[in-house]
Amino acid sequence: MTDPAITLEATRQQVLLAAVRGRSANAADVGLAEADERAHAGLQIYRSNGSALAERALAAAFPTVQALLGAEDFKRMAGAHWNDVPAERGDIGVWGGGLPRWLAEQPALAQWPYLADCAQLDWLRHVCERAADAELDAPSLAKLASTDPDTLWLVLKPGVAVLASAWPVASIFEAHQGATPNLDTAREAIEQRRGEVVLVARSGWRALVHRIDLPTLEWTSHLLAGTRLSQALDCAGPAFDLPAWLARALRDEWLHGVRDGVRDANDA
Amino acid sequence: MKPLPPTCAAAAVGIGLRQPHYEQVLEQDVDLAFVEVHSENFFQQGGAALAVLRRARERYAVSLHGVGLGLGSAVGIDAWHLERLAALVQAIEPVRVSDHACFARALRPDGVTVMHANDLLPVAFTPASLDIMVRNVQQVQERLRRTLLVENLSAYVSFADDCMGEAEFLANLCRRSGCRLLLDVNNLMVNALNARAGDPVAHCAAIVDSFEAALVGEIHLAGFADDGDIAIDDHASRVRPAVWQVYRHALRRFGRVPTLIEWDNDVPALEVLLSEARQAAACWPAGAPSPDAARP
Repeated sequence: MTDPAITLEATRQQVLLAAVRGRSANAADVGLAEADERAHAGLQIYRSNGSALAERALAAAFPTVQALLGAEDFKRMAGAHWNDVPAERGDIGVWGGGLPRWLAEQPALAQWPYLADCAQLDWLRHVCERAADAELDAPSLAKLASTDPDTLWLVLKPGVAVLASAWPVASIFEAHQGATPNLDTAREAIEQRRGEVVLVARSGWRALVHRIDLPTLEWTSHLLAGTRLSQALDCAGPAFDLPAWLARALRDEWLHGVRDGVRDANDA
Repeated sequence: MKPLPPTCAAAAVGIGLRQPHYEQVLEQDVDLAFVEVHSENFFQQGGAALAVLRRARERYAVSLHGVGLGLGSAVGIDAWHLERLAALVQAIEPVRVSDHACFARALRPDGVTVMHANDLLPVAFTPASLDIMVRNVQQVQERLRRTLLVENLSAYVSFADDCMGEAEFLANLCRRSGCRLLLDVNNLMVNALNARAGDPVAHCAAIVDSFEAALVGEIHLAGFADDGDIAIDDHASRVRPAVWQVYRHALRRFGRVPTLIEWDNDVPALEVLLSEARQAAACWPAGAPSPDAARP
């Protein structure tokens, strides 16, 4: 639509949304019918809605970050992130993926250098728990014995992801799983700057955090990138133990199945 | 002997299905005509929430109520959102699909990218705004291949150049797009109070009377907060007496209309919610034909 009246409505909406986000509080700027005080009160309701929604949404997706920061600091952080990084979608459940990087850029949070990686782990779990449901395609495993690995791809379940951190993200995550956080182990690991590598995968409805080693990280990253089996094995190196990995992948529900033939878009 | 009030199922009364009540509602035969969920809470491709909704659908009719299409957005409907909604509609086969007469999407200050307010922001009641909403509603209906219900807002600001009332705007929207109305009686009351209407009940009843009965496909009832200065549609308490009054008036005018008790914040025990639902069922006018004999 290019009608000037439509363009004016688009501008009006842009200005009102900016006002709701606190960039203008002047009723005249927005063309509101209400007088200044009343307009301010009305806009404030929308602002409060936004702040409350941001806190709820981020608390649902980032429980470890919330536990680390504490309720009040988390609330302030959520409001600030809401203002800096607006949502793009009407599903608030997909908003928050930018939080880890944003946290890393906040000078006020420099005393928690591991916070961004903890946020990244929270986000991977959040995404995993919303991923498509998938059962193991058990018959496809027979291809491992009968088919040239140059033409095979191992397909992981939707939502499987890996994270390598210079901080003990698994220890910090685990420390906050009980009703009463047990921070001793995590604190010691932080003091030692002990990096940890994890794989996130769903068991039932819950996304679990599994500690993995560096060869498994390399291997899994290649599988997630859609690398064929033979090439992924080459890249993982001699320290990687495929039979042991297969046993663990089946036990911990990482593996969706084995695909052969020409790679298609679903493999990536 | 005084006749028993109709059941919620017979009176077409439902409740919002919220997380604290999942197990009770899904494992008991609760007297409800339908349950309603916010569509966007089930846009994910899998996981626990979607499994709950599938279980609910096995036992109840489900109404999908959206809060994110932004039907009045001048920048248009988000194709991603519409496709997710279409997939959900296909999977759940809801009894009704609805969203709000609001805008939610607009350009960011950079003038290039679009952001989403994740709130129900008021549109101006102008011909151009109406054109925008008609276009968007038609797009949604064509994609979903079904009639959409569009809900009136509780709005905390309005525009100086509004040139028609909300009721006229919505009636025109329904006439031009073929959509129907989801009449939120609580929103009417909140707006009447904030507009300092002398007699809020009479004010709301007059709006109800302005709608053709056939346009109204669902009614929402909820509680609101009122600090004496401004009323807020917070869905966090029982339906207020004045809202029940307007609801009874609406039933007399419209006949049986599927009615939802909305309670989204400070969600109480299920029994409290069900007592509100039973009160809605009991509002069926005395002497009126059985709800089952009323128009569908």
